[in-house]
Amino acid sequence: MHPRELISAHLDGELDPVAEARVAAHLESCPACAAELEDVAAARQSIRSLPEPPGAAGALAGARRGSRGVRRWAVAVTAAAATAALAGAVALGPGVADAPFDLDALVEQHTARVVLDPGISTLRGPMGGP
Amino acid sequence: MSGDDTIPTWEEVARDHGRRIYAFAYRLTGNAHDANDLVQEVLIRVRRGLRSYRPGSFEGWLWRITRNAFLDEVRRRGRRPTVPLPEGDLGHMGSSPDPDAELSRTRLGEEVQAALLDLPYEFREAVVLCDVVGLTYDEIAESVGIPIGTVRSRIHRGRRLLKELLD
Repeated sequence: MHPRELISAHLDGELDPVAEARVAAHLESCPACAAELEDVAAARQSIRSLPEPPGAAGALAGARRGSRGVRRWAVAVTAAAATAALAGAVALGPGVADAPFDLDALVEQHTARVVLDPGISTLRGPMGGP
Repeated sequence: MSGDDTIPTWEEVARDHGRRIYAFAYRLTGNAHDANDLVQEVLIRVRRGLRSYRPGSFEGWLWRITRNAFLDEVRRRGRRPTVPLPEGDLGHMGSSPDPDAELSRTRLGEEVQAALLDLPYEFREAVVLCDVVGLTYDEIAESVGIPIGTVRSRIHRGRRLLKELLD
């Protein structure tokens, strides 16, 4: 039997010694599997030869700015929430101003907004898969 | 690289892994804008997740977060993919001493990227985690939540299909 699906693992050095010996021996005597090894090795090489994709520096700078932005935003929200809580306390009476201020939840809301906003329209995802 | 017995800071994760997260996202989506957004989303999730992170397989943890963020974006948008633009791959052509060689290399890169995008998602993800990100099969199994035999199969079938698409 041809150990086809083990050929890439063999190429990547990801087989245990017993399976490795079996696959290596098979490849010696099976032209079809040897050809398949050549094919997947070529594909592997073509992916590994890809250059670093363009735009990485900008993305990482953006992430750092985003990190600071979240903090700035959190400060602004803290101030706004304090104002609102004070207004609420005045308007609604006791109790509202004592509610715990959940910064994490607000940061999550902000994150959701940030993620919703930019409009990623060209993602290719699992809906195309088998 | 973070060892198994230390908890990295958020800044360390961004510095040490940001480029790989970007490369993962770029090769899965084929465009810089989506990759950019994904990096930011992943780093936000990492920052939240680090509070509860316990030393262990950091790579498995990080890439589970990364792929989940990616899949959440895909699900949320629920759209069919479109053909990606070549982006800035042509940007450095002018400085090449051999424009013809540079052009053919750029075209080859675009062909490989286009072929990657034509792979079924499960194959594309496994191949990118292996050949772009550089994870071991064990790390891929942990990140994706599949048995090691499925990792082997997806990588192999993904590469075989990629070769067919490139021929």
